Amino acid sequence: MSNIIEVNGLTKTFGNSLRVVDGISFSVGEGEIFSLLGPNGAGKTTTIRMLTTLASITEGTAMVAGHDVMKEPNAVREIIGVVPQEVTLDNELKGIENLLLAGKLQHVPNSVAKSRALELLRLVELDGFADKKVGTYSGGMKRRLQLVAALVHQPRILFLDEPTVGLDIQTRTRIWDYITRLNDEQGVTIFMTTHYLEEADRLSDVVSIMDRGTIKVEGTPTELKDSLHGDVLTITVADGGDDLTGFLQSIPHVAEVTRTDDSYRLKLPKVESVLPEIITTVASKGLKITETSFSKPTLDQVFLEITGRSMRDAEEANNHYDSHASVHARETR
Amino acid sequence: MIVESFALGRRALTKWVRNPFAVIVTSLQALFWLALFGDSFNPTNAFGGGTNGSLGPLQTAFGGAPTYITFLAPGVIGLVALTGMSFMGVDLVFDRINGYLDVLRAFPIPRTSIYFGGVIQNVAKGMVAAPITFVIALVIPNGLELGHGFGVVDLLGVFAIVALLTAVFATFFTGVAISVKSTDSFFAAINFLTFPIMFTSSAFFPLSFFPGWLKPVAQANPITLASDAMRLLIVNSNLSAPQIQALVGDVAGLAIFGAVFSVLGVLMARNALRAR
Repeated sequence: MSNIIEVNGLTKTFGNSLRVVDGISFSVGEGEIFSLLGPNGAGKTTTIRMLTTLASITEGTAMVAGHDVMKEPNAVREIIGVVPQEVTLDNELKGIENLLLAGKLQHVPNSVAKSRALELLRLVELDGFADKKVGTYSGGMKRRLQLVAALVHQPRILFLDEPTVGLDIQTRTRIWDYITRLNDEQGVTIFMTTHYLEEADRLSDVVSIMDRGTIKVEGTPTELKDSLHGDVLTITVADGGDDLTGFLQSIPHVAEVTRTDDSYRLKLPKVESVLPEIITTVASKGLKITETSFSKPTLDQVFLEITGRSMRDAEEANNHYDSHASVHARETR
Repeated sequence: MIVESFALGRRALTKWVRNPFAVIVTSLQALFWLALFGDSFNPTNAFGGGTNGSLGPLQTAFGGAPTYITFLAPGVIGLVALTGMSFMGVDLVFDRINGYLDVLRAFPIPRTSIYFGGVIQNVAKGMVAAPITFVIALVIPNGLELGHGFGVVDLLGVFAIVALLTAVFATFFTGVAISVKSTDSFFAAINFLTFPIMFTSSAFFPLSFFPGWLKPVAQANPITLASDAMRLLIVNSNLSAPQIQALVGDVAGLAIFGAVFSVLGVLMARNALRAR
């Protein structure tokens, strides 16, 4: 698979000191769904703005379909579709009018744009609302329309900045379905940013985890989760006065044990196959397990492993950093 | 660039046709200008005039206009163009705040088409306001009196001058609108600019009423150029050679303003819309 996006040492600074994106490098294969996953303030939106020619690049290079983003911005704009985080449709225009205007600005002939617009409205189940003003649409309908407004000219790459932020789970699931279909049926390469772990996990071929302006790790969701070396089993032992860490560690297949009061967190390759053996071994020592829970690895755990904090903690910590960066971004828009 | 500019201009006009409130209110503003200032600023109140509200002995000082409203109406058309064009640029400010400008910047279109799209829609809206003002001036009591022989060519001449003046203000204020980053900045800039333009023009009084130091400024004011040119066409049945020369000078002055403001506007738009 050839790379359709190649980024090397991409850096963005605001003012003299605020380094929002710090020398990141990655590539995206044609036809892939690539996610930049990270908490708010990680630098994801700034990255997408640079790749879509909306923000200048301080250092490094970005090539989109063989075109240098800084040197050939119009060539890049011809082949990309951009869906920003905020709804930016014209509320006073009808649904179809928004799509036709997008087609006109992408130099699509009127007749082609019209049939394409109707086809796209059908795709996102808005064909019954084509002649309604967008101001009368619900938030979810607007998001669906915004998604296809970027597709009238049949772009090779679709950039989605937090495509489902603030949406209810039903609408989110529908948008995931449309994204998957666009990728599967039309071969559109999808580059998206998200801070939703499930979204990245479910949709992406490749996930890059970004935090504080740098990419921490990259791989398929499965590779990233497998890098944690298995599942996590948590058991609570009744009257567990003695420290069982060493004992549990000695059970075959247990990779790592950490204790919190009477609870033990065990890392295992595959919890289903080892759990009966653990219960038997613990019982043979005369101890009783009062509570058992286990979890498959998640991208949040990958994030925790790499950065030492969970996505939620990172978002809270980045709030100040994020608002500071946003102010700079707004001031320089 | 032309196709994109018209596409964007059409977007704004479609919205306006569906919600013409702003343009109608702007047009009706002319009624207040003419009714209130046509009476309260009427020089015959202080200096006396002829019969039936005519300017009488003051007529020469007022460029030959038989009534004050006849003098004032072209000025009010200019003022409506000024206020209309200045405030209609707010759409671009909201486009920036709502992120719509960013969406436009991601299209493969010349940045200047966003600017000219704004100019086109504003001129079109302004051209709706002008005939309404003209009709209001004609129908109000002691209103606009057209010179003998005023015909279709003169009427078209008046509207051509209005179009030119509207374009002058549209090019200027669209440049301002595309450059500012918030509504506060926009309205502060508009208030700062419109009142000096308004009161240093010959909209209300002839240039001879201005003090010597202000006269050159008033003379070069686009509203003065446009309203003096319109008065020549409205008041006189046949233009003399010096009047034709004055008319050509006024129109040329407006054209120069339009060209200079277009260049400035394009530069402002390019600067405001470039990637940072």
